[in-house]
Amino acid sequence: MTKTEIRPAIGLGLERLARAEGLAAGLAEALEGLGAEAAPGSVAALPAAAVPADADVAAHPLAARVGICFVRPAVSGIAPPAELTAFGVRLGAVRLGVTRRLLEHTVAHLSGRTIGGEQAVRKQLIQGTLAEAEVTIAVVRHMLRAEPAVAAAVADAHARLTGLDWELAKLLGASGYLATGPAAEAYVSRLTAHCWIPGSGELTWLS
Amino acid sequence: MAELSPLLLELRDMSRELGGELRTMALALDADPADTEMLRESPTLSFLRVVGTPKAFRAYDVPAHAEQFTESCLGRVVCNIELARGDVSVLQAVAAPSLAGFTVDALGDAAQQDAFYRDFAKYEPWTFFGMTEARGGSDATAMHTSLDPDGDGGFLLNGAKRYVANADRGLMGVVWARTGTSSLSIRAVLLRRPAPGFSSSSLDMLGMRGARFGEMVFDAVPVPREMLLGAHLPASRRGLWGGNRAFTVVRLQIAAQALGAAFAVRDAVCALRPGWTGHELMSARLDAARELLYDAAVGADLDPDARIPVAVAKVHAAELAVETTRWAESALPPGTFLDHPLLEKWCRDIYAYQFMDGTSNLLRLAIAPSAGAHGEDS
Repeated sequence: MTKTEIRPAIGLGLERLARAEGLAAGLAEALEGLGAEAAPGSVAALPAAAVPADADVAAHPLAARVGICFVRPAVSGIAPPAELTAFGVRLGAVRLGVTRRLLEHTVAHLSGRTIGGEQAVRKQLIQGTLAEAEVTIAVVRHMLRAEPAVAAAVADAHARLTGLDWELAKLLGASGYLATGPAAEAYVSRLTAHCWIPGSGELTWLS
Repeated sequence: MAELSPLLLELRDMSRELGGELRTMALALDADPADTEMLRESPTLSFLRVVGTPKAFRAYDVPAHAEQFTESCLGRVVCNIELARGDVSVLQAVAAPSLAGFTVDALGDAAQQDAFYRDFAKYEPWTFFGMTEARGGSDATAMHTSLDPDGDGGFLLNGAKRYVANADRGLMGVVWARTGTSSLSIRAVLLRRPAPGFSSSSLDMLGMRGARFGEMVFDAVPVPREMLLGAHLPASRRGLWGGNRAFTVVRLQIAAQALGAAFAVRDAVCALRPGWTGHELMSARLDAARELLYDAAVGADLDPDARIPVAVAKVHAAELAVETTRWAESALPPGTFLDHPLLEKWCRDIYAYQFMDGTSNLLRLAIAPSAGAHGEDS
């Protein structure tokens, strides 16, 4: 098995870990020893617990709240593209777990509200979004499994997760905009991917 | 397409310049939104407060082009796009009449308007607008806060509001509450602080921290009858329906700010990638959205009850702004957002426009019955 492959069981394990314990716990496992110097850009996202006290840190209170730290590498040592892509797959699994936390919170939130005498979660407009969320989760999970060596596919999977997190946060209304809670963690998940995944949207920065 | 008059062009240029000054305070405000000293000392924010005050109550005269801001919806849109292009969060920190002022304009009688704006001119306060509640979100018809008779001709305000800008620092504003069970019984009252039974706190939000969103709790707050807005209007125009024109103006301003923030993100990407032509599609989309918004503003100036084009413009501007941040993410090298904190902050700020002035889903429900009934062919 090469560095560009990921066993489904590992991906599922990371997803479950992040779903249960959050982004920082999942990231710590997914890094598999990669340090700040391996990041493809000028800043790496790391679990705060793994960052030395004297590290050059880009302060970000919101990220700190969920145990993530943005670090400027002291030395250069960008990981080879294949290794970065493999990490992108593992990070994708972690982000899936974070997204599922957000989805579960959203469903619980909407189940406790009523609009016009009906449970909000039963409203058609909302059900449509929640159904799309389940579809996107399944699609991303399988993209990461089926095409783990294709950098563009991995970047696309991350972009889809960023889009999905936003759709779910919207369903929370203003409560999805609080600095605490799963929507805020999902935003830090987006920033984490931005640090590690080249062109996690459309790969246009290379053009 | 809307043509801007020479005065509006001057207003646009002035607003662009002021927007640059707003930006100088942006990161400090995001780091410590409770620091009001910087805001109080800013001549730019002070000027914007005066410009945003109705002419009759301004502390001093403003240039003719600045007058355009309160003269028309188009003026407000032109100005807000450029100010927000500087920084949306600092723009939200301006102590202006804002939503409370629009509501007093729409529902207050002459004496109420006079009292509101005289106090505003005297104390230069932040103002609040209490509509959203924790359980009902932006769905005003699900409101629980009540105005209960005090037995002496007045009311006691009971309930709570959440996600209210300036909740904890606003000295005066408007709060919506029920006097009965029907939708017509949802009424607005003027409220001043301090008042017995009125408490508040700020909430820690993801972004747009200059707005100081918070919650307000009302425990039998006395409200004299003369503080009830709309009593001089027909029953059908006293409450939410009467406030709709005010909400339309606010919606346009919010759409303009979302779009201005999107332009700021686009500008930042272009500055980081000089000579790159990959921005052309996004730039075209932003320009088109600005035209859509201008048209909606012109339409609202001609017919203040034409709400659907405004809702369309707001839904699109709020979504496009988020899309612009994602486009920026893909157009820039990894980690750029963390090296350019303004860009990262704008990503957080822009999210706020989805829920300010009602969620997009609520607006979609308002738009849907009339889908296809707007635009040049309608």
